[in-house]
Amino acid sequence: MTGIRKRITVGFMSIAALLFFSGMISFFELSHLSNDTEEILKANSRNIELARKMLDASDEQNRAFMHLAVLGHVQYDSLCRRSMADIEQTLEVARQEAVDRASLDSLGFAVSEMRILTDDFLTFGAGAEQGYVDTEWYDSDFHNCYKNLTLEIRKFMTSTQSSLAPRTEQLKTNAYRSVTPVLISLAVMIAIVLMFYFFITIYGVNPILEMNRSLGNYLAFRTPFVVKGECRDEMEELRDKIETLITNSKQQIKA
Amino acid sequence: MRLNVVLRYVGMVLLFVAAFMLLSAAISYFNGMDSAYYPLLLSSLLTALLGAFPLIFVDKSEQITTKEGYCIVVGSWLVACVVGMFPYLIWGGEFNLINSWFESVSGFTTTGASILNDVEALPRGMQFWRMSSTWIGGIGVVMFALVILPSLGRSKQTLSSVELSSLAKDNYRYRTQMIVQILLVVYVGLTVVATLLLKLAGMDWFDAVAHAMSSCATSGFSTRSASIGYFDSPAIETVLTCTMLIAGIHFGLIYATVTGKRNNVFRSEVTKTYFAIFLAVSLFVAISLRIADTYPSIFASLRYSAFQVASLMSTSGFATANTNLWTPFAIILLMFCSIICACAGSTSGGVKVDRLLFAAKIVRNRVRQQQHPNAVLRIRVDGIMQEDRVLDSVMIFFVIYIIMLFVGTLF
Repeated sequence: MTGIRKRITVGFMSIAALLFFSGMISFFELSHLSNDTEEILKANSRNIELARKMLDASDEQNRAFMHLAVLGHVQYDSLCRRSMADIEQTLEVARQEAVDRASLDSLGFAVSEMRILTDDFLTFGAGAEQGYVDTEWYDSDFHNCYKNLTLEIRKFMTSTQSSLAPRTEQLKTNAYRSVTPVLISLAVMIAIVLMFYFFITIYGVNPILEMNRSLGNYLAFRTPFVVKGECRDEMEELRDKIETLITNSKQQIKA
Repeated sequence: MRLNVVLRYVGMVLLFVAAFMLLSAAISYFNGMDSAYYPLLLSSLLTALLGAFPLIFVDKSEQITTKEGYCIVVGSWLVACVVGMFPYLIWGGEFNLINSWFESVSGFTTTGASILNDVEALPRGMQFWRMSSTWIGGIGVVMFALVILPSLGRSKQTLSSVELSSLAKDNYRYRTQMIVQILLVVYVGLTVVATLLLKLAGMDWFDAVAHAMSSCATSGFSTRSASIGYFDSPAIETVLTCTMLIAGIHFGLIYATVTGKRNNVFRSEVTKTYFAIFLAVSLFVAISLRIADTYPSIFASLRYSAFQVASLMSTSGFATANTNLWTPFAIILLMFCSIICACAGSTSGGVKVDRLLFAAKIVRNRVRQQQHPNAVLRIRVDGIMQEDRVLDSVMIFFVIYIIMLFVGTLF
């Protein structure tokens, strides 16, 4: 490669390319990290939302059974069926979306128990035969099942919170890993900028300073025009032209 | 000293290292774009950019001084080790800054030590990069620089005199240009042959290439945590034992033997001594192991002892057995092998058999001189009379090596 302009242009373009490159890496890695963080937060809030829905539905279920089994309000059987369906539907959604699926197994078991209890009561249970009134069944069988179900729903709600600590730890490690390529790119860029400075100095700045000094000495003291150091491309041409000019000038003075 | 010239040649070495990173990335790509693909590709790009930058400004130089030659060699090693840790650092896993540096230096210096607890957990691309670093280190980064450089005239000579020891140069009766070509042909040829033999012995292609690279570089990096012991195959062990032993011979002699020259492996006094030491130590270790009932038969003892002795003599460090459980006598013999090692002009480290042979002849001459004070006794190796300067340097090397051993033991 020849020509000072070409060399400097290619040098600058390399630095610009690396700058763009490291910028892209930073953007890519930070987007990745941001997505991870957002995903954790979304999963957390979605878990709470689903658990709240299930708790609401089980409260409705409890209210419906209280009306049915204690007060004998038979019109509440539809609310009872709807609440049970709501709980199951929400559980299905949670199964599809949940990050921590292990905690859903015990919840699924508690929901199944509640479904069996509800179906038995509404179809074959003593409640159906006696106009649904069965206080003893409500206090013992249903209450135990309801307590177990709400406990499992609460466990599901807090499961995301408890899995948050290791995931945050993992995020911290990922953050360190995400920053590493950027740091390496920056280190390489610093090395290239230092090299660029060095090459510009030895090929551009030093020859000009040297020629300026030597030309000044020639004009002031008539000392020979000598340029120390390496001159290349246009600098070499410039030095040669100055030398020719000085030689011509000397010849003209002699003539 | 012209720093710009040094930067140019170090840059060329970096371009070579970047090419191997790119090759590793390609392997990663063809292995289902495993987790090493992105770190290797990124490292390759950064290394290539760093290496290519000085080439924009510095044109090729016909003359380089010895001082510049030393700086190119040392700079190439250091910078190759630094950029060599980029893929490890970016990939993560067990690699933090210190571990990456250790693994990279271990690779390029063909030490073969590793910080990895689970080598198998590394993706194939990263495994290949480990092997590449050690393979590049085996031949010497600068030798590659010399090969890829266009006609450089005297600069090749200066660099090779820095990279090759005077002992190693003895067996090269060629021009510097030719030496570089011989080194490359022997090294690549040995790697290809070892790969084919390991494949025939039962390894898959990837393991065969990886272990061939590692054994030719005498580094001992393996793709398995249990090293060669994982394969538990006498055929694989035999191929690797032969490869390690051949990689421990002077490359010039291997070339001369293959091309039918007179100064070949079978006539060389050094090589004969090397094989004699290997056979004797293997036999003594095997007998010791059999007497101690470490292995059920003398053949089993020979199998393990020959492999371990070859591994230590060539400074490879492959393992098929837990030598900590071996007899103290066997361990002392293995330690002797790990100090003496193989021949000058090979990829192995240590004192080298050449110097041991020289030292033995110097001692014998001293004894004879005592018996015949007026006799003029000269030392000859392979029929060539040795200069006092060479003999002095051998003794100086021995003394410095022993001092370093002591200092190393103390700290």
